Amino acid sequence: MKKFHVLTTALAAAAFLAGCGGNEAGDQSPRVAFTQMVNFGDSLSDVGSYDVGAVALSGGGHFSINGVGATGLLYINWTEFLAATLQLTQPCAAETGLDTIEAVVGVPPVPPTFHDTGATPCLSYAQGGSRVTLQPGPGNAALFDPTDPSTFGNAIGALTIPVHDQIQNYLTNVSPTFSPTALVTVLAGANDMFIQVATFQAEVAAGEDPTTAGGAAVLAMTTAADELAADVNTMILANGATHVVVVNIPDASLTPSAISSGASGQALVKQLVQAFNTELATKLQAGPSLLLVDAFSASEDQVTNMAQYGLTNVTTQVCTSSSSLLCTKNTLIAAVAPAASAAPATAANTYEYADSVHPTPYGYRLLAELVGEQMAIKGWL
Amino acid sequence: MKKQSIASALVATVALCGAGAAQAQAAGDVMVKLGWNKIMPKVRSSDLTAPSLPDSKIDIKSASALFFTATYMITDDISVEALGGLPYKHDIVGAGAVAGVGKIGSIHQISPTVLLQYRFLAADGPFRPYVGAGPTFAKFYGSKGSAALTAVTNPGGPGTIIGGDTEWGGTIEAGANYKIDKHWFVDAAILKTFINTKATLSTGQSTSARLNPVSINASIGYTF
Repeated sequence: MKKFHVLTTALAAAAFLAGCGGNEAGDQSPRVAFTQMVNFGDSLSDVGSYDVGAVALSGGGHFSINGVGATGLLYINWTEFLAATLQLTQPCAAETGLDTIEAVVGVPPVPPTFHDTGATPCLSYAQGGSRVTLQPGPGNAALFDPTDPSTFGNAIGALTIPVHDQIQNYLTNVSPTFSPTALVTVLAGANDMFIQVATFQAEVAAGEDPTTAGGAAVLAMTTAADELAADVNTMILANGATHVVVVNIPDASLTPSAISSGASGQALVKQLVQAFNTELATKLQAGPSLLLVDAFSASEDQVTNMAQYGLTNVTTQVCTSSSSLLCTKNTLIAAVAPAASAAPATAANTYEYADSVHPTPYGYRLLAELVGEQMAIKGWL
Repeated sequence: MKKQSIASALVATVALCGAGAAQAQAAGDVMVKLGWNKIMPKVRSSDLTAPSLPDSKIDIKSASALFFTATYMITDDISVEALGGLPYKHDIVGAGAVAGVGKIGSIHQISPTVLLQYRFLAADGPFRPYVGAGPTFAKFYGSKGSAALTAVTNPGGPGTIIGGDTEWGGTIEAGANYKIDKHWFVDAAILKTFINTKATLSTGQSTSARLNPVSINASIGYTF
């Protein structure tokens, strides 16, 4: 009997051990204790450079579906999702303003103002329409032509400060160096592509040989990539930044805008984007301080495997406004409009595109997941 | 507290029964063992369900812990053994498309097993190899997520939690023991467990994983 007692005690002991301890989220701090985030780029990283004047009146400011929680997600831009992931304060626009043409829009311009100094500096320099080095970019009032209705959207007067100047503004206004605990993000080049596509179309319409015009466009993209790589290498990495995320241009040939331009238009867009991305990858100074994220391949994969990403539509824009800069949940197509005006437009989170080129908040979240994954592999998160 | 009470129960039991007659693994004998067991999962996980990066998988790393057994000799050759132990803590790492993200979490596991064993060679001999087979009950609990897991499943949202699970599986084993004196012996065994589990994330995605671990252990035993 005593021997049986041993056996039963052991069995009871084994049973005892089961079922202690609950499941927890665990330590959510990233492996690198980041203290700030600095963003350079274009509309894909813009968190409100134009959230003044005419744009503020319409409730816009982000190049997506505007309004906190408009789709039920906590954030809109990928840099906002990323800041929350890294336990940083939310990014805000380093420079705001609009060169609005009052005679056209009916709202006065707002002079450019910097917000990048002081107790709580705003260090997101990214602006919608910004190119790598050159002005003007899409949305700039300089592109407004009173005789050409297709240019009227530029009357809003986006500042489109080029990325090169954005970095210089940081170095001049804030600090000549970058903190080793700063995360610096760079995402640019798409606006150079849009300008080159427009130039190509104008030249071909004027009788230029398409092959010659196409060659010039590819060369211009290669030059832009050279310049962006040089800016990252000599202005950011050489000035002390040790955590630099450069995101290449997503495959813009898959956007509703490119699709509407037909197969030849899509092919040109893809060729220009690839020329830029290939040159950028070649010229960036690889090393432990640089993380190049391949958003191009990821954007193609999101179309190929859309269900796996939780997407049901990767070709239709959900905003009825011409630009997502002015898009809110009240200006959405019927398929995703919220049933009640107070409810979030959650259905929009199954669509990739807000307007013809910019993602929905969910599309931005997918980019944030990609960057987060790559940062984890790099050992930063 | 629970761990302590188990240990004291065992010690008390050993003291209580310590004066038994010295037979060597013959019918009616009871043996206890205490040792160290290493569990090495051989994971094949399914892709994490949508929404997630395609081909996202998990891998579960090896873990070691103190284990103990109690064995009752039904005949001179056939015995039944109960195997328990302290909890194992396994690291969970990314695999497939998320290979390289490193540790994305950890989970505790306890897997008590009952084995029906057959022992070879003479009951009073010094050396007795054995084989065994029986059911394993596994409980997964006490998981912890990480910043990396949240970043790829719900960036900016509340931290993602890995859901535990309970499963039944089967174990086969081969081992041998060697008698040091009338009471004490040393024992080593290798076990293969066939078991699946399903991890469900608080963000809704899940992955089914075939764990099928191989365990190796070494222990010191006492025959009453």
